[in-house]
Amino acid sequence: MIIDLNSFIGPWPSHPVAGDAEQVWASLRAVGVSRIFASHLSAVWCRNPHIYNRELFEAVDGVDDVWPVPVLDPTVADWKRELEKVSGHDRVQMVRLLPNYGGYDLAGVGDFLLAIQEANLAVIVQTCLEDPRRHHPMAVVPSVASSAVVDMANDFPDLRVMIAGAKAAELRNLADRILTLPNVYADTAQVDGLDVVKVLVDAGLGTRLVLGSHAPLFIPHAALARVVTDIEDDVAQVILKDNALRLLNEI
Amino acid sequence: MKFAELRNQLKTPFPAFDVHVHPLDNFGMYRVDSPEEDARLLIESAKRSGVEKMVLFSLHTTVPREPTMDQCREANDYALQVQKIAPDVFYPFCYVNPMYPDESVKEIDRCVGEGRMCGIKLWVARRATDAGLDPIMARAVALDVPVLQHAWEKTTGNLEGESFPWDVADLAKRHPQSRIIMAHLNGCGLRGLAAVADCPNLVVDTSGGDPESGMVEAAVEMLGASRVVFGSDAPIRHFAVQLGKTLGTDLADDVKRDILWNNTVRQLPKWVGVERIGE
Repeated sequence: MIIDLNSFIGPWPSHPVAGDAEQVWASLRAVGVSRIFASHLSAVWCRNPHIYNRELFEAVDGVDDVWPVPVLDPTVADWKRELEKVSGHDRVQMVRLLPNYGGYDLAGVGDFLLAIQEANLAVIVQTCLEDPRRHHPMAVVPSVASSAVVDMANDFPDLRVMIAGAKAAELRNLADRILTLPNVYADTAQVDGLDVVKVLVDAGLGTRLVLGSHAPLFIPHAALARVVTDIEDDVAQVILKDNALRLLNEI
Repeated sequence: MKFAELRNQLKTPFPAFDVHVHPLDNFGMYRVDSPEEDARLLIESAKRSGVEKMVLFSLHTTVPREPTMDQCREANDYALQVQKIAPDVFYPFCYVNPMYPDESVKEIDRCVGEGRMCGIKLWVARRATDAGLDPIMARAVALDVPVLQHAWEKTTGNLEGESFPWDVADLAKRHPQSRIIMAHLNGCGLRGLAAVADCPNLVVDTSGGDPESGMVEAAVEMLGASRVVFGSDAPIRHFAVQLGKTLGTDLADDVKRDILWNNTVRQLPKWVGVERIGE
């Protein structure tokens, strides 16, 4: 089993993306992914991203290998109602936070994070969706520092947290802190460099990395090749499956 | 769980010739103590991904944006040392600085030639519109070698001497007999492709940036399949991730093969002696 914890469906405003749900899922299945967690890209730019959670649920309805990851935004007045709704959905195990697009600071939304923790959901904190050098010039969105996500995880030790979009250098620099916090994981979607996953494993992070494809913004083939090319099967299995199951609280 | 089948599925079915590689002495997450160690680590990693040959250029161990010619010479000596360790794997390009056009031409004459370097690398010291590039381009034409020019369009702002894709188009039009490899498809983006579409003496390399979907297909559509060449920008980037930009498309197999090998071979002088495949 290969679990992709970080994918999307839908369009992207600044360049063409093949975001049709069936097309995205077929591209992931083609490289061996058997369990897909997906959010809706349209939620990223919507001033009330909760609106697109409905569309996401409709898209995944009846699709056995796809789990919806709704977006929650504490700056939208109805976030408590939305949390109640999504936590009542039998396939929701994680929610995605986009602090940089919502315009809030993780350190200032304690009530929101506590409510997610009490709902027994894990959180994906998306630090970056595209290379800052490639943003549309009229829509520049600063990245969230991965260290801020680690700070958040430290403050909420019972909240399961996945850092999405971190760079390899950030994770290496944070490795010691991450390893002291059993509730923190990071996806592989935007780590890069020669032998990068092997390098991160050598830094002790093998038990904290999970597969993120970032599809359809990024190419699934590249996401899988990044993980399996330089490491042994047993380590690959931990990253492609076991860590995800731990984050999902299934083992 | 066994991943051998998945690795085989993901690995390139064609040999790959990477047109854009730096030594670990310049970039990357490993510290290396010698050209030998540098060559070994690059070769091992490349082989795991299916990359058999690499165009290599050093930007000097300190990676200055405006290198002195002494620094260029040191960088080139390092690349030549790496080449000697595995001459069938490494095909070095000569790094020069258009701030010093006359000295750059002398350095090209020192480094380029059969059994030595087979191209020229330009980075961010001066934009491609600068007249300092002209003697360098003329020498490249005389020696029948390509020039690889870095380019980006950065939302965060280009460096003062960093070329935009349209600067490289200007260069290609000023020197229509030259062969230009414009680096960084993803950094140049869809606007960059439009800027260079009418420059038949210019190809774009796929190196650098994230593996964004649709970019290689767009390059093939806008420039034609023969004007796209595989590059990784390793060790800043991962060989297999960058290969995935091409392998993970729906392009025909012969197009993928040409991007990964033949189109690069066409750019290099014949005396390099590398054969095209499958034609």
